[in-house]
Amino acid sequence: MRPDIIEKLLKENTAVCGYKIRSERVESYELFFVHSKLETVRSTDTTSTDVTVYVDHDGKKGDASFKIYASTEEDEAREKIQAAAEKACRIDNEYYELPSNETLDGAIDSDFADYEPKTLARLISDAVFSANTYGNGSINALEVFINKHTVSVKNSRGIDKRELKYSAMVEAIPTWTDGESVELYEAKRFNSFDSDEIREEIEEKMREVRDRGRAVTPSEPLTCKVALDAHELARLFSEAAHNANYSSVYTHSNLFSIGDALQKEAKGDRISITMKGAIKGSVASALFDNDGITLIDTEIVKDGVFTNYYGGNRYAQYLKAPVTGELSCMQVATGSLTDEELKSEPYFRCVSMSGLQVDAYNDYIGGEVRLAYYCDGDKVIPMTGISISGKLSEALSSVRLSDCEICSGRYTGPKIALFEGIAIN
Amino acid sequence: MAFSKFLDSRREGCKALVKELSKAFSYVSILGSHVVSSRIAADRRSSVMGEGGLSECGFVIKMHNGKAFYEYSLDDISGDKAELAKRILSSLELDRELSDNTIDVKLLSDEPMVQSFSRESDCDKYSDSELLAFCEKMRDEALALDSRILNFFVSIAPFTVSKLFITENRELDQNYSWVNMNAFLVLRDGEKMVQTYDGVYSHLISEVIASFPAIVAPLVERAGKLANAKPIVPGVYDVITDPTISGLIAHEAFGHGVEMDQFVKDRALAKEYVGKYVASPICNMRDGAASALSTASYFFDDDGVLAHDTQIIKDGVLVAGISDLASATQLGTEPTGNGRRESYKRKAYSRMTNTFFEPGKDKLEDMIASVKHGYMLFKTNNGMEDPKNWQIQCTAEYGIEIVDGKLTDNYVSPVVMSGYVPDLLKSISMVSDDFKVIGSGGCGKGYKEWVRVSDGGPALKVKVKLA
Repeated sequence: MRPDIIEKLLKENTAVCGYKIRSERVESYELFFVHSKLETVRSTDTTSTDVTVYVDHDGKKGDASFKIYASTEEDEAREKIQAAAEKACRIDNEYYELPSNETLDGAIDSDFADYEPKTLARLISDAVFSANTYGNGSINALEVFINKHTVSVKNSRGIDKRELKYSAMVEAIPTWTDGESVELYEAKRFNSFDSDEIREEIEEKMREVRDRGRAVTPSEPLTCKVALDAHELARLFSEAAHNANYSSVYTHSNLFSIGDALQKEAKGDRISITMKGAIKGSVASALFDNDGITLIDTEIVKDGVFTNYYGGNRYAQYLKAPVTGELSCMQVATGSLTDEELKSEPYFRCVSMSGLQVDAYNDYIGGEVRLAYYCDGDKVIPMTGISISGKLSEALSSVRLSDCEICSGRYTGPKIALFEGIAIN
Repeated sequence: MAFSKFLDSRREGCKALVKELSKAFSYVSILGSHVVSSRIAADRRSSVMGEGGLSECGFVIKMHNGKAFYEYSLDDISGDKAELAKRILSSLELDRELSDNTIDVKLLSDEPMVQSFSRESDCDKYSDSELLAFCEKMRDEALALDSRILNFFVSIAPFTVSKLFITENRELDQNYSWVNMNAFLVLRDGEKMVQTYDGVYSHLISEVIASFPAIVAPLVERAGKLANAKPIVPGVYDVITDPTISGLIAHEAFGHGVEMDQFVKDRALAKEYVGKYVASPICNMRDGAASALSTASYFFDDDGVLAHDTQIIKDGVLVAGISDLASATQLGTEPTGNGRRESYKRKAYSRMTNTFFEPGKDKLEDMIASVKHGYMLFKTNNGMEDPKNWQIQCTAEYGIEIVDGKLTDNYVSPVVMSGYVPDLLKSISMVSDDFKVIGSGGCGKGYKEWVRVSDGGPALKVKVKLA
């Protein structure tokens, strides 16, 4: 059912005080390889439409949501609207105003429209497979997804926005077989095509998986600084971002408040974090959030201290704070750590982890390491079968942030960070 | 809730489309999926009544051309079938340079079967308003128990699945429901903040409503204990696992490792260990949509294969894996009914369903008494698989120290368990005679493709590295 028909039906229902219609059409082309052979070709053309009905009553605001499908008939849609209006009357949430009077028809930068999806998917797969130049190396599995997203948000108060964005995702399994066989997992998301960049990233993974095959487990615990790469740093700093979201604050789930120190005593670099609507190259970039709110970049941590919260329309009004929109991307300021300084003393660089565990409530950071490099300034020794664990507060206080910036998923910031006080077991 | 009227209305259309596409493909199946879900929730400051995240309505068409597989997902199949087939074929065109680079596997058999399946459900008997009132009551009771509680979130999420599967020779439909009810608590004790959770689940809302009140007070009490939890001193310990952690081990240690699409890709070491000891001889493990009644129980999978009950480990020996249609076809084996999709928009993979260790003969109290110094671990937090290299990471929400065979009041949190899978499974020295399958889980493959799963088992005694 088209959004304009849904809107007409919503306007017909007198119990409805306000509404929002969010629709996302995804057209995809997907390739699934087993080793180097194509196993499955997929294509999709689907649209998801979510409708929220608002009813103001007794000084409160109630809402209820439902889905409208391509196959939904008008009578069925009327019934859904009426049922939602009745449910919304039962919801006694604090009052707030819906956003109003903004229109936009925009797009996130991408060069994907220059390619036919089937050609682009093939070029991406060629770039991945060309990265394996080793006799003992292989790409045992590869999945390529090319997506075109058309997102629209319209509400009863004059919000009418649309954005077009593209995304690609590559999931590759670099494998090394030399007697024993080992693998690493690589997922890369991007919205502009650069064959060389893809090949170089996979080449690096091939070197790493070769090293995993040679990796040793140290016979005794190591004592040195621990380095984490951008992927793990994104996970680490997202914990701080969660704390600073208006919804966390409103529901009393936040551990930190404005003025609190993320770094109790900064012995290294001071951490500064800005939540952003868009960062170059990130598929999480957006022009507006699910309510159609224009996204406003917001610094949440400055020099190790929480300075601002951020978030969407409803919770911003509850907290009488500026509406920034739900910001999905994060920029962490680079620090003072140079490559030369990094290499000046022994360190343990975690390259692949099962998943960094960050628990601010229990002051914990740790996880199982699938591949790390022990670098003593002279030799670089690949290691595996090890865990790291430590106090999150001590790790953050001691952190040294690289002076070199990198983009990884939703994160842009230091390409590496060095921590003290994390045990290597 | 009865089988979807919408899918029924498209039944003949599916058959016509299968016929049309069969002009180009030797095998064509259509899966129609209509899931109705809702989420009702209340916390200290707000409440929610809305559509659940599982809701969907659409179709996925799977085709085989004698060599490779092709799939197309769409919202509806109405309209002219010849035109639709033309559009599908055009969308699935391959770049010329790839057209000779496909796998080449034999045709699938399409055994005739016409059958309808359904399971008892009471989702129609409860209105969302009634469920919200129950959530609010549970919230209020919890908040009254401890003034340190900052917030108590209660949610109930019922869903009803209707699926229609059509091929030239097969016409299956199924209709079933499931409901999860969860509680999540935030408590502040001085400077320390604690989060913890619990949940109940069933195919009947009435059972969930009956069992939920019993978890509220213990959850609040546990949060108070966790406020004093300390970090664990890293090391190798004797450990007793509760059923959630046993299930997490089953799932991460061997469940992912026997998903047979990983065998096809040479991504699972387990492929080389079929028929060999991979665990202690007192260890038995199963998976299947028909192995237990839980959140991953269905009658046929997303490839139209009937649900199975697969013995994975028998007396410590790896006996079988679990497969979807595509991987079984490539391996020359029978599919085991484990072909599952995140939604009709996504590909089917070999996926776990209800995965668990079978009960043993030991009493839990004897198991605890046998530990000089160690921990009993409780409550799954998360886990990560590594089926190629058999590394494992499982995070428990908390552990309780065992000293001289007795549980103490010393809590540690969180606890990350890691190691080499065969070392862990071969270290199983005791298995309790009780058993529980936890039906509220979700599982990704890598970092995507989320499906509902359950896991569980008895308590296990193992030796493992904790940090």
